[in-house]
Amino acid sequence: MKNIFQTKSLILLSISISLISMISCSDDLVVPDDPVIENEEEVITTLTYTLTPSEGGSAVVLTYQDLDGDGANEPTITNGMLSDSTVYTGALTLLNETELPAESITEEIEEEDDEHQFFFSSTITDLQVEYADEDGDGKPVGLTTTLTTGAVGSGTLTITLRHEPEKSAANVASGDITSAGGETDISVTFTLTIEE
Amino acid sequence: MIAQRCDLKVLGRVQDSHSLDPIPFANVYFKEAQQGAVSDVNGFFEIPVLCQGSYHVSVSHIGCQTRELYMTVKHDTTILLELEHHSQIMDELAVAASAIEEATTQEIMLMDAYEISQNADKNMANMLGDLAGVSVIKNGTNIAKPVVNGLYGDRLILLNNGVTQSGQQWGADHSPEIDPLAAGKITVIKGVSALAYQGSNLGSAILVSPPKIDSEPHFHGKVRYFFESNGLGTGLNIRVQKHHHKFAWSLVGTAKKKGDSQAASYHLTNTGAVEGDFSLQTEYNHNTSLKSELFFSSFNAHLGVLRGAHIGNLTDLEEALVRSEPFYTKDQFSYQIKAPYQKINHHLLKWNTSYLLNKDHKFDFTYAVQWDLRKEFDVRRSGRSVKPSMSLNQRSYFTEIKYRGYLSNDWEVSSGVQLNRKDNYNEAGTGILPLIPDYISFETGLFVMATKKNEQFSFELGGRYDYLDQRVATISRGIPKEIKRYHNYVSNVGLAGGGNYVFSNGMNLSYNLGLASRNPGINERYSNGLHQGISGIEEGNPDLVSEQSLKNTLALGGKINAKILYEILYYDQAIENFIFLNPQNEFRTTIRGTFPVFKYVQTRARIFGWDFTSTFLFSDSFNASLRASYLKGTDTQNNIPLIYLPSNNLFLSFKYQIPSVGQWSQMTFELSNKYVFEQKNIMSDQDFASPPKGYNLTGVKISGERKLGGNRLNMFLRIDNLFNVSYRDYLNRLRYFADDLGINVITGLNLNF
Repeated sequence: MKNIFQTKSLILLSISISLISMISCSDDLVVPDDPVIENEEEVITTLTYTLTPSEGGSAVVLTYQDLDGDGANEPTITNGMLSDSTVYTGALTLLNETELPAESITEEIEEEDDEHQFFFSSTITDLQVEYADEDGDGKPVGLTTTLTTGAVGSGTLTITLRHEPEKSAANVASGDITSAGGETDISVTFTLTIEE
Repeated sequence: MIAQRCDLKVLGRVQDSHSLDPIPFANVYFKEAQQGAVSDVNGFFEIPVLCQGSYHVSVSHIGCQTRELYMTVKHDTTILLELEHHSQIMDELAVAASAIEEATTQEIMLMDAYEISQNADKNMANMLGDLAGVSVIKNGTNIAKPVVNGLYGDRLILLNNGVTQSGQQWGADHSPEIDPLAAGKITVIKGVSALAYQGSNLGSAILVSPPKIDSEPHFHGKVRYFFESNGLGTGLNIRVQKHHHKFAWSLVGTAKKKGDSQAASYHLTNTGAVEGDFSLQTEYNHNTSLKSELFFSSFNAHLGVLRGAHIGNLTDLEEALVRSEPFYTKDQFSYQIKAPYQKINHHLLKWNTSYLLNKDHKFDFTYAVQWDLRKEFDVRRSGRSVKPSMSLNQRSYFTEIKYRGYLSNDWEVSSGVQLNRKDNYNEAGTGILPLIPDYISFETGLFVMATKKNEQFSFELGGRYDYLDQRVATISRGIPKEIKRYHNYVSNVGLAGGGNYVFSNGMNLSYNLGLASRNPGINERYSNGLHQGISGIEEGNPDLVSEQSLKNTLALGGKINAKILYEILYYDQAIENFIFLNPQNEFRTTIRGTFPVFKYVQTRARIFGWDFTSTFLFSDSFNASLRASYLKGTDTQNNIPLIYLPSNNLFLSFKYQIPSVGQWSQMTFELSNKYVFEQKNIMSDQDFASPPKGYNLTGVKISGERKLGGNRLNMFLRIDNLFNVSYRDYLNRLRYFADDLGINVITGLNLNF
């Protein structure tokens, strides 16, 4: 009886060992293939706010460029100087420069203008930004704006882009972000100097 | 021809399967003969006149799992019928002893088929959430993970039908891909080291086991149905089974659908869910010593995530925190699930052959393949919401050879070898760099455990060795993007020992000590990028080393005057190199705004606490249960609290049972109250928002059973959050955005045919 037990055990043991060695002999397969580096088509790297004086003169170009997205590199910011008591026409363009050639995100916003809105806020009290465009529902978008400067001074201008805001919520159409909701796709701050 | 005899007598006794005490007033029913009897005070019953033939017999008693069997009566017969009490009511320790195949001195809690039926509306984690020492970490109701004694995710072992669940367990917002309605029981081992199972674990384990196929030659089954008012959810679960001469099979299907849940005063827009699961279980008995089983299960779900919880940056989160109701809250209820949502498929195919050499030696061979597909959809621009933002595909191949047997001097020994290969890759086409990288890992494990038992004393000792070989291919975040490869190999050793002593008065004392380790998770090493849920940039650390844990548990349980059943578990766990996500003193400026940076770091941690469970039997029909859990976790290196640990809580319930009312039997009325304390063990700079206030939830339940055309029908009506309290729970990540669930009225039925 004891003999039978030992024979059977030996058989089972050898089956076990051969099974294990079979399974573990797939050494050449254990390295993953090169992963696909995704084309990050949705990323916004660059915002340009071009301010053209309505009575002629050279345009002021504010740019914010952040090529590495969430990476540790600091963004490149070009600030600007504006003239006092002047009316400017503001135009916003957005680019994805991780693609070659750079992809225009402005077009995406134009196509989905009812789902997007830019908000402008400044620490310069008499600087005003008003919407000069609207979506299919008659609500502002903010790709085109009118910026009016007041007295000499300096401060910051923050531009925020919200995706899927509630445009019909209180004061949102007049540019107040408080009740807008949605998620922030862009939030950039420029330093502005208003000169004589 | 001999006429069929119709003068047979069946005598019997009904007793408790653990204490062997008689069970009086149990119902015994012979279906084909339409004859029944009630057991007397000593558990005895008699069916005086019965014809020769085969009968379906059901034995039922309040507080017990109804037992069904099939028997042939040829002559006068005497039978012994054993019933098992529901674990929540009676001595949990006794039930636990038979809960898992391998006896253990470690602390065990159990949900049986009856309790699973009574909570059919819940997902697995929420189902376990009422057990002492078990909490739930959530991202809304649909997405929930169990937390046992403070640990969750990778730090727990989750076993589906004997195979370690292989999926994306690392994510706090990834719920286990398991249909609890396919389970016959769910066991929670609040132990020091789950030595017999492969996978990163620091002690506790959750075992989901399918029911045994009854040896019943007829086609039988079970139908469960529920409806819930909150979210207008419905679910149907059907099980059918048949046992042939050598071959047996069972088939289970589950379908569930719900719409937007409701908080106390508003809709939780986009929190619907749809789920469809099935499993097939077959077994073939080649002969008395050789048996094979083939099991396949498939879990498929679409889980909506609150729309208002999808945010862009820290400013958005700060705005969300102060709102009285979340952004995007709609006035109308809807079943529609839009982005953000998760689409999950998980399939398991398992082959098992067991060979009984003789009554003392058993060998088991298991091979299992798992497919885990996870797609997460976010709100994106230009119609990209239809593309997943994350699309992970994981396959794993598991092989195990196990031995269990008895040695000459009463030692029970079990030992095994396990191999697991895991291939994890990101499906291309998301348009987003993956949060976790592609990898292939190969794990080899070996364990030996020995148990010795006698009437008073049982003792166990075991060890485990694991070797992990992991090859990773990451993508760098700099410019230009490059593929960077890593090769990790780690050896881990686990050791555990424990003893259990039963005193003459039935008091039970057990102590366990275990050393265990856990490899750093793939996300902890390599995750990189913005985490939408917390609006932070998360950075992994490839240099992390394994966590080492030393855990002690001390459990005491018993009875006082057969009126009070009690059990207390104390645990104390020290974890060296404990990995956690630490907010850095760094803010990163991007075009989307400013984000805080979080890095995975290691520290020394200690988690200790106790769970207390007791039942007071005022009479046979009236009892009260009290459960309490206390837990405290500290980063002992920096002397600060550990974050995201469960709040302390207190649960009290009263149960009144009536043997029969008209057609109904086993009527049970239950009133329960759960109080969850505010998490005070936290500092204000450790989180974006201070922990929510404590809250109190009241619930009621009525259930009963009746015969319906010879079949057994059980029905229940349950009301959760009876007073429609507005509350937020510390472990629910949606607490930053919205209140938790309001009142919910659930009605369900369970028909056995």
